[in-house]
Amino acid sequence: MSEFHRFVVDGIIDPAVTLAAFAEQVGLSENEAEEFDRRFFDTPDGRLHADQSTLEVRNSVEFPLMCSLVWLKGGQVLASARVESGFSPDFAGSLPAGPAFDRLRELVEMRRFLPVATVRSRLSTGGHLDAEEKTTARVHIDLPSLPDGRSLPALIEVRAVRGYEAETAGLLRAMRAHEAFEPSDLSTADFARAMVGASPYLPGKLSLQLDDRASADEVWRVVLRELHEAMTANFRGTVEDVDSEYLHDFRVAVRRTRSVLQEGRGVLTPAARDHFRDGFKWLGDITTPTRDADVHLLDYPNMIAALSPEYAEALAPLHELLLSRQRSCQAQLALDLRSTRRAQLGAEWAEFLSGEGPWMDRSSGESGDAAEADRRARDVAAERIERAHSRLVRDGRTIDGSSEPEALHDLRKDAKRLRYLLECFGSLFPAEDLSVAVKPLKSLQDVLGEFQDTEVQAHALAQFGRQLDTEGASTDTILAMGGAIEQLSVRQSRARREFAARFESFDSREVEHAYASITGTGTTKSKKRKKKNR
Amino acid sequence: MKILATYNIKGGVGKTASAVNLAHVAAGRGNRVLLWDLDPQGAATFYFRVKPKVKGGGEALLSGRRELADVIKGSDYDNLDIVPADFSYRHLDLMLDDAKKPLARLRKVLSGVADEYDYVFLDCAPSISLTSESVFRAADALLVPVIPTTLSIRTFDQLDAFVAENPDIVRKLKIMGFFSMADSRKRLHRELMDELREQRPELLPSQVPMDTDIERMGVHRQPVTAMFPKSRPARAYQSLWDDIVERL
Ligand SMILES: Nc1ncnc2c1ncn2[C@@H]1O[C@H](COP(=O)(O)OP(=O)(O)OP(=O)(O)O)[C@@H](O)[C@H]1O
Ligand SMILES: [Mg+2]
Repeated sequence: MSEFHRFVVDGIIDPAVTLAAFAEQVGLSENEAEEFDRRFFDTPDGRLHADQSTLEVRNSVEFPLMCSLVWLKGGQVLASARVESGFSPDFAGSLPAGPAFDRLRELVEMRRFLPVATVRSRLSTGGHLDAEEKTTARVHIDLPSLPDGRSLPALIEVRAVRGYEAETAGLLRAMRAHEAFEPSDLSTADFARAMVGASPYLPGKLSLQLDDRASADEVWRVVLRELHEAMTANFRGTVEDVDSEYLHDFRVAVRRTRSVLQEGRGVLTPAARDHFRDGFKWLGDITTPTRDADVHLLDYPNMIAALSPEYAEALAPLHELLLSRQRSCQAQLALDLRSTRRAQLGAEWAEFLSGEGPWMDRSSGESGDAAEADRRARDVAAERIERAHSRLVRDGRTIDGSSEPEALHDLRKDAKRLRYLLECFGSLFPAEDLSVAVKPLKSLQDVLGEFQDTEVQAHALAQFGRQLDTEGASTDTILAMGGAIEQLSVRQSRARREFAARFESFDSREVEHAYASITGTGTTKSKKRKKKNR
Repeated sequence: MKILATYNIKGGVGKTASAVNLAHVAAGRGNRVLLWDLDPQGAATFYFRVKPKVKGGGEALLSGRRELADVIKGSDYDNLDIVPADFSYRHLDLMLDDAKKPLARLRKVLSGVADEYDYVFLDCAPSISLTSESVFRAADALLVPVIPTTLSIRTFDQLDAFVAENPDIVRKLKIMGFFSMADSRKRLHRELMDELREQRPELLPSQVPMDTDIERMGVHRQPVTAMFPKSRPARAYQSLWDDIVERL
């Protein structure tokens, strides 16, 4: 709802004294301060941090058994519940029931909560009141310290009550004018993390800002290095199976790497390209069984939600099977990721990226092998995007109601290829064209993905069903699985029906203009506009 | 977003007390709640210490000149916001009459905040009028406090008659009656309640007792559920809210 303003309290005077004097000066009503031991949690990619909120388990110092889980934003409680002393949340499912925590569930999705900081805080909440004694702003004061006694910056957070922003302006002015108050983006949890030298949160999306005058050789390497970083950042969490998203992000980085290698024809030497394409294909392949098992488990709640309650219960043996499959796939994956083959690939790749070793030798191959390496990256990428785009358009136009499923599966690959190009090299092109180009592509990919995934899942379920059957599962279980497969085929037909409309929006004039503008072919919209203005 | 309206043709039966306390209970459970005080007298607004004023008045809201989101005031409680009463609401009937599709108007205005709230409470003035008809159309449920007296029971019958005669207006509306200001020390109350529960088994099982703490809300200007959360009336509103959620 309404935003909040956070200040750190600086200066040589005890912050508690500064704050008390300020409260007196501006007339804040204050509740008793209370001391808490607070353990903060966040997801590995810092979703709460990005949301400017924090999740903590707090114990009252005075009443150590009074323990609650609190989701806070700028001092405002978004959700809270009593929990057992010593409780630590792990996945969304471990959060208390109720609509407030449902919103947190939506935010964290499949990620695991990890402890990020431990702090002891003296907390108090005050209010700025109007003549009717109505609270017009909330003021939260936090005097925190680390468990070892080192103090952290004192914080004061102010949030206008909705509809009282004007009444709060004066208070904020007084705070900005106060010499001891400094605006701050960091929360107590952030300060505590910084003090103990915590590692940064995992990066989210690719955030490449490529130089559009650089050579293809340079840019390809920058992109591959960035992807390498993503792979490295997600490696340990994948091996240790902290949550399914590590593997997911690891795989995305591998697939993008493969795609950039693939599109590196003429940019990278054939020797390097062939060698690493093989290597990363292998690396991708060994992760597939575990990802499939993860997907089954992640989709399990949706699957039972679509069934009637008694069937849902009958599916419990399937859940057991999925869990045990996931565990065995994961164990194999951990072995493979720790193998010498993987280590060697990693070492060679690092060598290649650092620009050393045999991979750099352009002269060793036949002449002209890396003929495009010195061209402008932007031009090379534009050509590859154009090729991928026209291929997707060409193939998509041949699909009609009578096409085989294979045709849609192939189209999905075309679409992926284009998407990776846009993701990896998009920053070489104008952002507005890019967003017009990506949106309908993404929506087309969603429906193609649904079409294929539901088919793959239905196949897998049928196989699991046969397995459970031979293991003597009850008729109810087998029937329930039939129901689940039915659901999938309903979803698949729906995806099939939606395809035409999605493709049509992708194959539209406006989108074509955006691609033309990116690839520098045809008349772009902006050029047209300029002509008109003249 | 579910819309709940406290309603009774008769005045002084505990509509406002119910709206204020139930809204506070619902917010306390983690739901995002909006309470719109539609009564020009502004009793609910008063309890939350908000000024009974809407910029541009009810007309600006109903005509769509002003978004509902622009006039919302936060209460002193987490997750609970208020749309204040305004003196102009006494002409709400006329304003609606002038509007296009008057019956659909209120729901249209509320749809602007559908993403922001889980529950909206409408606290209505006592009457059957164009305003209450458009409340009926907008609401998912009517919360009808009934004092166990012979007279107020008849008003409940009147509401039934209205519903029966106007199926087009009420459509999917759920009607949830419950006893308000029930004094189980009075024999008459007890007997009437027993009798009426037999006639109308659909009445909500929880009832709000006659209690001076509820009257004191006017002095403290707080919901009784905030002022004395463990008190008998506070617990009554909490279990009444459970009943309502179950029926929704
Ligand atoms: N359960 C109760 N016990 C004691 N007093 C109550 C109770 N409920 C409401 N009251 C008091 O009765 C009076 C009328 O209640 P309230 O304003 O809630 O009724 P209302 O139906 O909204 O009235 P109106 O029709 O005027 O809007 C108020 O003074 C209120 O404090
Ligand atoms: Mg009232």
